[in-house]
Amino acid sequence: MTEVVLKAKNLWKDYGNVVALKGVSLEVKEGEVKVLFGPSGSGKSTLLRCLAMLTIPTKGEVYLRGECLTSPGVDLNKARARIGFVFQNILLFHHLTALENVTLGLRHVLGMSKEEAEKKAMEALREVRMEKWAHCYPAHLSGGQQQRVGIARALAMDPEVILFDEPTSSLDPELTGEVLDTIRMLAKEGRTMVIATHEMLFAREAADEMIFMDEGKIVEVGPPEHFFTNPSNERVKRFMARLLEKRAWWE
Amino acid sequence: MDPIAQLFFILTGVPNTLLISVFAFFLGFALGVPLAFIRAYGGTIPRLIVDGYEKLARGVPVLVMMLFLYFGVGRYVPFFRDAFISSVVALGLRSGAHQSQIFRGAIRGIGEGQMMAARSLGLTKLQAIRHVILPQTFIAATPGLGVEYALLIKDSSLAFLLGVIEMMKKAEILMRATRSTVIPYFGAAFFYIMLTFPIATYLDRWGSRKKRELGI
Repeated sequence: MTEVVLKAKNLWKDYGNVVALKGVSLEVKEGEVKVLFGPSGSGKSTLLRCLAMLTIPTKGEVYLRGECLTSPGVDLNKARARIGFVFQNILLFHHLTALENVTLGLRHVLGMSKEEAEKKAMEALREVRMEKWAHCYPAHLSGGQQQRVGIARALAMDPEVILFDEPTSSLDPELTGEVLDTIRMLAKEGRTMVIATHEMLFAREAADEMIFMDEGKIVEVGPPEHFFTNPSNERVKRFMARLLEKRAWWE
Repeated sequence: MDPIAQLFFILTGVPNTLLISVFAFFLGFALGVPLAFIRAYGGTIPRLIVDGYEKLARGVPVLVMMLFLYFGVGRYVPFFRDAFISSVVALGLRSGAHQSQIFRGAIRGIGEGQMMAARSLGLTKLQAIRHVILPQTFIAATPGLGVEYALLIKDSSLAFLLGVIEMMKKAEILMRATRSTVIPYFGAAFFYIMLTFPIATYLDRWGSRKKRELGI
């Protein structure tokens, strides 16, 4: 039996009057790729942030390899270091080069020496094919290149799971391809990942399981083919129809 | 006294003008940076205290603060019986409030995302401030710091009222000696511009360019 890496149990999150998550539970197993999708405001980002404990859920539990992160007294910094996060708006550190962006966590969280960290960071940059731009500042890179550095930054920490919050939605259509290729490659390596995305063709080939969210709840779960052929929920059907229509119009 | 000698006489006040301004600037910096971070990341009560300090320090005229420190506090605390020190502290206290606002604006411009990205790697809040927020804050604050430096140079002239021998005092002495106001005041005005304008402009250009280049 494959081990459960990350698990959420009955997660709730409210921001004042707005309830962003209403009792979400899920399990991510070793080597599994899950794709989260659903309309904007459906709680995908909040769910990912809660899973990484970047936002503390109002109620419910998050487990990383069985360790409850939501119980008091847990060293969240240590836990966060084990969970990779790739942001929608990329969020590279502006004042650091691509290489320094990747070494920051290695040096100050994992305590590596400068040389050790640089070696490890170069490996990660090579993996996303960004080693040539190691000494460039983020502002001198294209959005797609920046996001690949963002992935390398998460990757270099050897995370047990990587969470992607709509990694391509801030990019031009021409640039999304290179980022999706990078994520596909990670999927082939057997990395454990949860990806929020609306790139349905990508999801269809990369995902082991797709999760449709709406209004802070998980509405439907199943393998990609299920969603492309006969989703049962009306809301999901309409959403899929619109996404595929838009895709057809593009092509 | 020929005009050139008169101008040189005014210039002998420059070292003290610079010392007052630079000391006040660093005092303001030492106060302003932590205050800005308290206002940006601190709890409600520390934030209210900082807010109160800023309002007070900006609301009281520098001259009133100088006189208060020198004649009022100085009566009980020997440290402030020195005109130079009272001037520096009065200017520094106000500069702390200004710099706190400059840095807070810079922190706000950097956005919450940078902090979240740093925390996502497992950095503690302090590490994130030290390695991610602070360096960007300094770059973003440079143009504002140039303006603050110029303000301090100009307002350091108030120290002559406590008897500090700086540029304004020299101009004053010269005016009394020559019974003419033209060279003393025009000379002082020109030197104040020379002390402020090039440096403030340079810091503004450097900061703006760096911000543009890095996309901060």
